[in-house]
Formats: sequence, structure tokens, C-alpha cells
Amino acid sequence: MPDENGAHDSQLLKGVLSMALLRLLAECESYGYELVGRLHELGLKQIHEGSVYPALSRLEREGSVTARLVSSNSGPARKYYRPSPAGYASLAECEVAWTTLVRALEPILSRPVPRRPQEART
Amino acid sequence: MNQSRVSFGDRLRIELAILRIDWELDGRIPWRVRRRLKNELRSNLIAAAESNGAMAAVSQLGDLRALGASYLEVYRGRLDARRGAWAAFITYVAVQALAMAVLLAFQSGIAAGGGHGGSYELLPGFGPFQGSVNHGFEMEILSPAHLVLMLVAFLIGSRAWRALPRGIRRGRGSAAGTDWRPGP
Repeated sequence: MPDENGAHDSQLLKGVLSMALLRLLAECESYGYELVGRLHELGLKQIHEGSVYPALSRLEREGSVTARLVSSNSGPARKYYRPSPAGYASLAECEVAWTTLVRALEPILSRPVPRRPQEART
Repeated sequence: MNQSRVSFGDRLRIELAILRIDWELDGRIPWRVRRRLKNELRSNLIAAAESNGAMAAVSQLGDLRALGASYLEVYRGRLDARRGAWAAFITYVAVQALAMAVLLAFQSGIAAGGGHGGSYELLPGFGPFQGSVNHGFEMEILSPAHLVLMLVAFLIGSRAWRALPRGIRRGRGSAAGTDWRPGP
């Protein structure tokens, strides 16, 4: 969640990074650095390359994404990722889980926070 | 022909960062995977360097050791050859240090007894602890016994048993136990 400076909790973001990556890749196949740029454009500037690249490797190893090499005129070929059928299934599951979690938390978070916690009844 | 806006200095900085990450992976994940990872990192870093400069591109990776560890979590093989190699090396050095101590003790004994030389064999058939002292000295640098000890150290250090097929390891796995019980 963003604080007053618009910063997000990096630990919270790590938990949903795979889902965010799969979702972005489902929209448009991308290579690692491009994906980081897309995340930053969405305001997720706390997510750095050092988190995204291993996450992509993990998704590839799990079979959630497939990759292809596309030659680049500035250096080595770039590795473009897109979700595999298993990745789409995983994304659908993650989205359901995320929506369920948000719905479950919403009633708790929408209550006003009391000044002091209620005393335990003994 | 490839054209790049990344200077030689920037490429050097990028290569050093890749080398640092590769050091974490060396001997721990298959060589082909390492090469693939390095190529991907290189292309991403060059793309980042073209936008923000190599220094920013590398710093955006964060702690390079941690990044290497993250890749290790994804790709780590069952056999840790680097740890095995270190264990074998340390064993060799330790055995040779002990063998040298034995030799010096024997040499002192010969000198104290007024002798001119002799040979010794502390453990019959065990290369490291046999040698001779005359005008100079002779000791085994590498014998079958050294190799056996180093092999055992390598197998233990690399946790070679983890590379065994699951069927063979099953008995050991159930003995080790993976069930977790919460504390009181």
C-alpha cells in the first residue's frame, strides 16, 4: 500500500510480483528490463531489476512462461517472455486468490481504527 | 553489424557486475544455465545502461551477492561442486601440514640421536605419513591415500548424496523427517 510519499511496501509487492509479471506478460510479451520499466510506469518504483529478473527465471523454471530470443541491435539477443498455458491457469488462480483476499480484508480495513484497543475480558 | 551507444567503460562495469554474480553461481548450477543467465543479464544491463548509464543500471540490480543467491534458489542443483572442491582443498592442506609436522618430528629425532638419515612409515601404506630424511628429505606430495581423502572430503562437502536418485534417498529422507510441529 502506498504511504504518503506514494511508496509501496516492498515485502507486500514481492508476494504479488509473480502475479503482476504474468499479468503484464499476458498483455504484451516483454524482456526483463522492459518489464521493470512497465512496472515503474504503473507507479511500482520499489520493484527493482534485482527482484524482477530472478522472478522471471522462477516463472520460466516453473513452466509458467515461455521465452524466445530476439536479436537486438545494441548487444546480445533479448529474451522475451510470454505466459504459457500453465501460466494463464496460474494467473487465473492468483487473481481469484487475490480478489478473495481483498474482499476478506475489506470489511476489516474499512472499520474506523479505535484510539485504544478494547481491554480483554477476564 | 551491431551498434551500441554503451561505451567501453560502461561495458566493463557491466561485465564486472556479471562476473560478480557469476562467482556466486560458479560450480553450483549447470554451466549452460549460467551462460544463459549471463547473456540475459548482459542484454538487460545494456538496455538499462542505454537509458540511464551503466552505473545506474548496475546499482538497480541491488546487492549482487543477493541477486546471485536469488538465482541459486531457482536453479541450484543437488550437487554443490564448489563446496566440495573447497572441502577437498582444505583436506589436502590439512593432511600435508600434518605430514610436514611428522617429517619435522622425525628429522629432529634423527638429529637428536646423532644419526645421518632414515626413513619412516607411520601408517603402513598410507602415503602422506611416510618419507625419508637424509641430506635432504622426501615426502609424498600426492599419493593414492591423498586422493582417497580428498574424494571423501569432496563427496561430503558437495553433499553428493543429494544427487542420488530419490528412490535411494527415500530411506534417509524419512529418517531425517520433514514434518514440522509447532512449539507449545
